[in-house]
Amino acid sequence: MSVEVRNITKRFGKFVALDNVSLRVNSGELVALLGPSGSGKTTLLRIIAGLEFPDPGSAQVLFYNEDVTNLPASQRKAGFAFQHYALFRHMTVFENVAFGLRVRPRDKRPAEPEIRSRVAKLLQLVQLEPLAQRFPSQLSGGQRQRVALARALAVEPKVLLLDEPFGALDAQVRKELRRWLRRLHDEIHVTTLFVTHDQEEALEVADRVAIMREGRIEQMGTPEEIYEHPASPFILNFLGNVNLFQGRIHEGRVVIGGAEFQATNHVGESNSGAVAYVRPHDIRLTRERTGQSSLAARILRVNAAGPVVQVELERLDDHSQFGVQLSKEFSRQLNPQAGEQVFVELQNLRVFAEDYSI
Amino acid sequence: MAGPAISRLNRTVTARHATHDPAWVQWTLTAVALLFLTLFLFVPLAAVFTEAFRRGIGPYFDAFRNPDAISAIQLTLTTATIAVPLNLVFGVAASWAIAKFNFPGKSLLITLIDLPFAVSPVISGLIYVLLFGAQGWFGPWLAEHDIRIIFAVPGIVLATIFVTFPFVARELIPLMQSQGNDDEYAAITLGASGWQTFWRVTLPNIKWGLFYGVILCNARAMGEFGAVSVVSGHIRGQTNTMPLHIEILYNEYNFVAAFAVASLLALLALVTLALKTWIEWKNPAAHGAEA
Repeated sequence: MSVEVRNITKRFGKFVALDNVSLRVNSGELVALLGPSGSGKTTLLRIIAGLEFPDPGSAQVLFYNEDVTNLPASQRKAGFAFQHYALFRHMTVFENVAFGLRVRPRDKRPAEPEIRSRVAKLLQLVQLEPLAQRFPSQLSGGQRQRVALARALAVEPKVLLLDEPFGALDAQVRKELRRWLRRLHDEIHVTTLFVTHDQEEALEVADRVAIMREGRIEQMGTPEEIYEHPASPFILNFLGNVNLFQGRIHEGRVVIGGAEFQATNHVGESNSGAVAYVRPHDIRLTRERTGQSSLAARILRVNAAGPVVQVELERLDDHSQFGVQLSKEFSRQLNPQAGEQVFVELQNLRVFAEDYSI
Repeated sequence: MAGPAISRLNRTVTARHATHDPAWVQWTLTAVALLFLTLFLFVPLAAVFTEAFRRGIGPYFDAFRNPDAISAIQLTLTTATIAVPLNLVFGVAASWAIAKFNFPGKSLLITLIDLPFAVSPVISGLIYVLLFGAQGWFGPWLAEHDIRIIFAVPGIVLATIFVTFPFVARELIPLMQSQGNDDEYAAITLGASGWQTFWRVTLPNIKWGLFYGVILCNARAMGEFGAVSVVSGHIRGQTNTMPLHIEILYNEYNFVAAFAVASLLALLALVTLALKTWIEWKNPAAHGAEA
C-alpha cells in the first residue's frame, strides 16, 4: 500500500518546478514534504493526485506498485485536502462527506442506509457528529479542515494527500490540529503525504520528512536524522536558527579565530576555507578561558523573556555577531550582563566547504 | 486628577470619524441624487402610467386586444424565449472556459464578449443587413434557397442574441474567477466525472450570479429597440416587437395605446429590479462583491 513517484520533472514555461524527483512513501507512513514556497512541494503533491501531469519522459506514479501515471484524478482514489478546504458551500457537512459515495456509478454506489452509517462513522472519527447538518460557512477553520479530511477519507483513498492543511489557521489551532492529525493517523494508518512550510509541524507530526529545495529533494529521513545530521547548510538553516563562523579546515579539525574545534560531521583533510554552523543552544558561555577551544566575545544584549534566555554577542577578533540560548537555570548562575566580556565554547559544529551556497 | 479626565472626555465628544463629512455635505449630496432620480426616473415612469390610464381602464385594456399588439407581444416573448436560453448556455460555456482554463486567444474572447456593449445597437443591426440582406454577402444564396432572415423573425432573434450575449458571461466570469478551481479539483479527486462536477459543484456555486445575468439578459432581450429596428422591416402583425409597436403607435398619435404597451415594458423593468434586489439580499456574493 505504498505510494511512489519516479523521475518526475515538471516545467512551467522556463521555470523548473520539479527536477527529476523520486520519492517513496511506505504503507501506512506519514511523510511530510517540507520546503520554502516555490520549492515544488505542492506541484509534486498535485502530480500524485493527478491534478497536474509530469512532463513526458520516464516519469512514473505508482500506487501500491501499480502504474497510475496516465490515470485521471477521478480514478486514482487519492484523497486530497486543500489549504482553503474547498468544501462545497451549498451542501451540509453530511452531504460534503457523502459526496464521494453519491457520485459513484450506480452499480458501485452504496445504498442510502449504508451511506448514512458510513458518513456518521467518519464524522465520529473527526469528532464532528453534532455538526452534520451545518453548512461550511457556519464552521470554524479547524472544523472545516476536519470535514475536508472526513470527505477525503469517505472514498477509502489509497493515499491521503494534504496540501498545507493547517496553513490558513492561527498558531494555536494549528498546534492542536496537527497533534490530532497524528492521533488520527495512528488510528487509521492510511498512507499519508502532507505538504508544509512549517519545519516544526513537519518534525513533530511526520514519520519521515522530505526536505525540498528548488524542485529537488535535498534530504529525506526521520525527523531526528534530519535534525541531527542535516545534509547541507540549507537544511540547517531551514530547520531553525543557526550561527555561522568562518574558519579553515586543518587536519580534520576546524580553526576559527585562534581556536580549534572538532567538527561533528566528516571534514576533508584539505587546508581550505570552511563555514561552521552552530545552533544557539550548542554554545557555552564562560567567564574564564577554558583551553584551546574558546573564543573571546562581548555581550551586546540579554533577553530573558520566554522559556530560554537569548544572548546576543559580538566576537572580539572579527566583530561578527552571533546568538546564544541559555537555560534559565544556567543564566541565573552565570548572570550575564550586557557589555561584559566572556568566552564561548562551540559544540556540535557542522562544517561545510565555504563555496556551498545557501 | 480631574484635569486630564475632563480633557479626555472632551476629546471623546468632539472625536469624529475620519470619513465623516459635515451634515450639510451629506444633505446636499443626498438632495442632488434624489432630484436627479426624480427628474430622470420617477417622473418618466409616472408619466408612462398616467398617459396609459388617461382615458380610463377600458381604453388601456383595449390596447392589448388589438391583434397587432398581441402579435407584437407574442413576437417579443418568442424572441426572448430563444435568445435567453441560448445566451445562458453560451454565457456559462464562455465563462467556464475563461475562468477555469488558459488557452491561446483567451483575451481575444473576453474582448469579443464585450463587443456588443461597445458597438451601437444600430450598427449591430446593420451588420446583419450587410450579411443577410438582399444585397448582402449571403443575400443571393439565401434568396435562392428561399430563406428569409432580414425583415423576418430569424433576423430579429439573431440581432437580439448579439445585443444580449454579454450579460450572462459578464456576470459569471468574475464570480467564477474569484471562486477558483479548488472545488472542482476536490470533486474530481472524490471520483466525480466532469459532468457530475459541473451539475453538483460548479452550477450550484454560480446559480445566483447566473440567475442575475439571466434576468438582466431577459430585460434587454425584451426591450431591445435599435438593432431589432434595423432588421425588422416593421411589418405589422409579423415583425414588430413590443418596442417597435410602441414607436408605431406613438407616431400615429395613438398615445393611450402606445403608453399602455409601454407600461407593460415598464412593469417588466420593475419586476426585473425587484428580482435583482431580492437576489442581492438573498446572496450578497452573487453580483461579484464577495461577502
